[in-house]
Order: sequence, then structure tokens, then C-alpha cells
Amino acid sequence: MRYVVAGLHAAGRSACMELRKADPSAEIIGVDPSPEPVYSRPLISYALSGEMSAEAMTVAGEDFWTGLGVALVREKAVRLEPDRARLTLASGKKLSYDRLLLACGAKARPAGVGGIMAREICYFRGRRDLSEIMARVRTGGVAAVLGGGLVGFKLTMGLLARGMTVHLIVSSPRPLSLNVDEHVGAWVGERLRDTAGVTLATNTSVTAVEPGTARPLKLSLSTGNVLEVDLVAAGKGVIPETEWLADSGLERDDGILADRRLRTSDERVFAAGDLAQAPDMVSGERRINAVWPVAVEQGRIAALNMAGVKTPYAGTLAQNAIPVFGSRMISVGMVSPAQTRDCDAVVTGGPRETYLKLVFREDRLVGAVGLDAPPRLGELAFAVRRRLRRRDIPDEWLDNPGNAAPLCAPGASLRQNARIW
Amino acid sequence: MLKKTVIVRPELCVGCMQCMIRCAQAHSRSKILASAIREDILAKPRIHIGVGPEHKPFPNKCRHCEPAPCQEACMPWAIRSDIAEGLKIVDPARCIGCGMCAMACPYYVIRFYRDKDAPERPAVAVKCDGCHERVAAGGVPACVEACKTGALTFEDVNLYLKEGTNRLANAAYGVRA
Repeated sequence: MRYVVAGLHAAGRSACMELRKADPSAEIIGVDPSPEPVYSRPLISYALSGEMSAEAMTVAGEDFWTGLGVALVREKAVRLEPDRARLTLASGKKLSYDRLLLACGAKARPAGVGGIMAREICYFRGRRDLSEIMARVRTGGVAAVLGGGLVGFKLTMGLLARGMTVHLIVSSPRPLSLNVDEHVGAWVGERLRDTAGVTLATNTSVTAVEPGTARPLKLSLSTGNVLEVDLVAAGKGVIPETEWLADSGLERDDGILADRRLRTSDERVFAAGDLAQAPDMVSGERRINAVWPVAVEQGRIAALNMAGVKTPYAGTLAQNAIPVFGSRMISVGMVSPAQTRDCDAVVTGGPRETYLKLVFREDRLVGAVGLDAPPRLGELAFAVRRRLRRRDIPDEWLDNPGNAAPLCAPGASLRQNARIW
Repeated sequence: MLKKTVIVRPELCVGCMQCMIRCAQAHSRSKILASAIREDILAKPRIHIGVGPEHKPFPNKCRHCEPAPCQEACMPWAIRSDIAEGLKIVDPARCIGCGMCAMACPYYVIRFYRDKDAPERPAVAVKCDGCHERVAAGGVPACVEACKTGALTFEDVNLYLKEGTNRLANAAYGVRA
């Protein structure tokens, strides 16, 4: 059996590990264009803020792959012919497979800004983007960050830590509007406004980037103002790397459509990670949740199915955890105001200034968001998976989320592992 | 696969919290209670007594799942399974304190504190390490040593499961003399 894994980051790496476990004698070939050792992409924000060195981002060196018995091909895959089970590489070499995993991930969404200097906009996706930004960082300089999502937020904090003044330009009325609810979004907005060195501009977008006079770049804003900056960085979300698959005949939407076993429309080809559009756990619609734990889990499930172990995938679930101004912000499932219009919410706090909101739709838990709450969103994510009802969550849990026993404790609501006494 | 592990019998727990104290002590620098409480970075317990159904105490600790959701969620690969067999152990030197593991853990057993092994970080993930050093030296985990009621025991997994099978058989057919 020959397995080919295209893309060796979160999803591809976990797939290789699981394939080796499931099939010790299989031939596994990893295809990835990057000549550098595999690193953990989300860590670039920690490297930007100086919390860790760029070298420490490496998670899988050469010896990891040899130890696993994965043959590496440092090339980009450019064409896929599913009916012939053949992958064409950039050098023209052809690679046949018995099972193929597409885990090529996604790339940064273009900021969609005009102007002759629009090419100067930096993105924040990989190590190359990190070094481009680092080359433009000037202590005491001015930076503009476009996009009020998690990436925009991390860029802002990172550039601030590097001694720059940052203008965070957000087109929506609040930062993090897609990731958290109004309360947490407003709190973050307030803290950003209070932070020296950060200017938050909401309901604003950049229309053009042109050469500046005092500083290298001049931004024209939708409000009519002009801003001169040293550096523009954008965090506007991601788009899956699927153009090279346009003529493959695989079903595509935003990403590659994958079924409940992460198979694409061709039964020998599987998809995992940021390019896989798999069923969502809450809504049931196929969507992409481009986050690390989802990618790793999908890689593992896809690998099991590739190896012939029929494994259903529970579905993707949006989830995020980031430190915000010394507080820990966590969100899971459906929490943004746009998604939760017809939902009920239960807000609970623990001791001190904590906030934890549980979102229910038709009596079922569909999401939760917390700020400095006890770190038990994992439990709630688990409860979302098990479609827990409002009445299944005991009052003592809601009264005291800091000390309550987990929902899956014997005798509690998630009696899935109950024992006979 | 774990051969011996800590078995929790919540129905025997009286909530005395001695396991928490001994756990923190075992993870302190000095490992002596009197001096552990004066260390600059206080050691924290990795087992917690939660308030369970009907307000009964519930000892809650890491189950060392396989596959472990926390390990899957960990971005810097700080949760390792190669330190001791069958145990998922946080490497404080690699942990960035992002909180992803706690978000993935269904059991609420990962907390964030300053740690003596990574003093420069404001918080790293702190969870049960199975007292792998004590076990390798022939001992039992600190919480088990502290437990006076039998709520925490260090047992062979397969023997424990066999005991469960017998209980099930007795429940189904009635206890035979």
C-alpha cells in the first residue's frame, strides 16, 4: 500500500503518525514544498512578540520523519488526476498512490486593497511572512494592522511588543466580531483603546496604499483620512489552497468537499485540515474551521479511514484560546452575534471578574465563550459534541464553575462512561 | 499502554483534600511540606476535588487519554508521550501557555500556573504527570499515598477491569455464595 500525504503541517503530520500506527509496513510518502523543517505555524505570533525564538517553532526535524519511516519529497504538487491515481509534481515527476491525503492547508486572504504599493502589504501565515514583517519592523515606527480577527489582534500585540505604534483598522463595529460575543468583543475593544500605542479604528477600511512622504507608505482610509506608516500587515482570514485542483474533477466549494469520513468525491482521495470542507458539528453544514486542533484531529481520522479502519468524523468545531492582555479568552462553537440571533444564553461567572456564557439553540448547547473563566471550555466542547441539553447542566456547575466536578463525572450528565456500582 | 494507573473510586472520597496537598508537595522543589510552602514559586496540585452531583466530592485528575485531545491541540508540541510510557506529560520548557490544551480537555484537569521549571513564563499548563519519577523509583503516586479511604488506588488496569466484569456479572445474576 502506498500512501501519499500532500502537505506536512498540522493535518499531514498527524496523518503520517496515525498511518504508521495503523499500517506498520506501509510506504508513506510526504510531499511538501518547503525546504525547511516542519514548524508549528500558529507560533509565528509568539515569535513576533519575542516570546519564543524562531528556531523554537520547529516541531518535526529530519529525524522525526526518518524515525516514522516517511519518505520526504520536497516539491510542490501541481496536478492531480484522480482517475489515474497520479500526482504530478512541480519538476514534472509523477507520483502514483493507493491513497492520497490532501492537506495543503490555506493561504492568507488578500486584503483587497488598491494602490500602487498594495504589494507592500504583509500577511501573517508562515515563517516567510514573519521574516518579511520582521524586516520592516522599526522600533518607534508606525504600523497599520488590517482586520480585527484573532490574527489581526496577535499582529497588533506583537508589533506593540516590538516597540511600534499600531493602528488597528477594523471594518466591523467591534474587534473579534466573528470570534466572540458582544460582551467580550466590547471588553477587548475597550482594553485596546486604553492601551498606550494602539489606535483602534472601527467601521473603517483601507482603500489604497501609496508611497508616503514622511514614511514609506501612505494609507487612504474609507473615512477620508490619510495615515502614513512604516508597515502594513493584514489578517483577513484564509483561503484554501485548491486552485491546483481545479481540473482534478474533485468536488469543490470554498475548499475540497469531504464527507463524514473525510473522503472527497474520489474514494481514494481524502482531505484534512484548512482545505477540507467537512460537516460542522453544530450546524451540520459543510464548512471550514481553519484552526489547529481541528486540523490535527482531521488528519488522524482521515488516516484511519485511508488505512481501511472505518472511522466516522464527529465534525469540525470552531475553537480558539488566546491570551488577551493577561486574560485568557476562549470560545467554542457558535458564539458570534450573527450566528446566535435565535439562541438562548446563560451567563455565569466564577469567582472574581470572570465571564462564561453558554449558548443554547432549541435547548441544546451549541457554543460557549469565556473571559478569564475557569479553563473548562474543553468540557463544554465535549458537551457540544454530545448535544447536551440545558437541563442536563446541573445548577451546582453553573453556580460554581471553578470547583464543580466535570460534567462527565459519574452520576453527572454525561454518563457515557458510567460504571456499574 | 499503561499497565498500572491511579484508579479513582469517587464514592469512597470524603473530600479531605490530602491528595491535593501531597501532590503539590511532590511537585515542589524541596519535596518537604514545611519548606515547599515557602518556595518563591508555589507548587500547585494536579489533582482537584470537585463538587459533584448532590454536592459529593469528586477527585478529578488527568486520565492520560489515548489519543489525547490535549496533545492534539498543543501547537508547540509541549505535551509529550515519550517521557514515560502511557503518560501525557507537559514539557514546561516548550509550553507557551496559550490554553489550547485546556480547551480540548473534556475533564477540566489542566490549569495554568507559574511553574518552577519555566520561571520566566507567567503561566504554563500544569497537569498530572503520573508521578512518573516516583513510580520509576518503585513508589506509588503521591495522591495514592495520601489517600486514606481507598478512593485513589494504584492498580493494574486489567485487574481493575476484571473486577468490573465480576461486578457486572454479580449485578446481572446475583451474588453467588
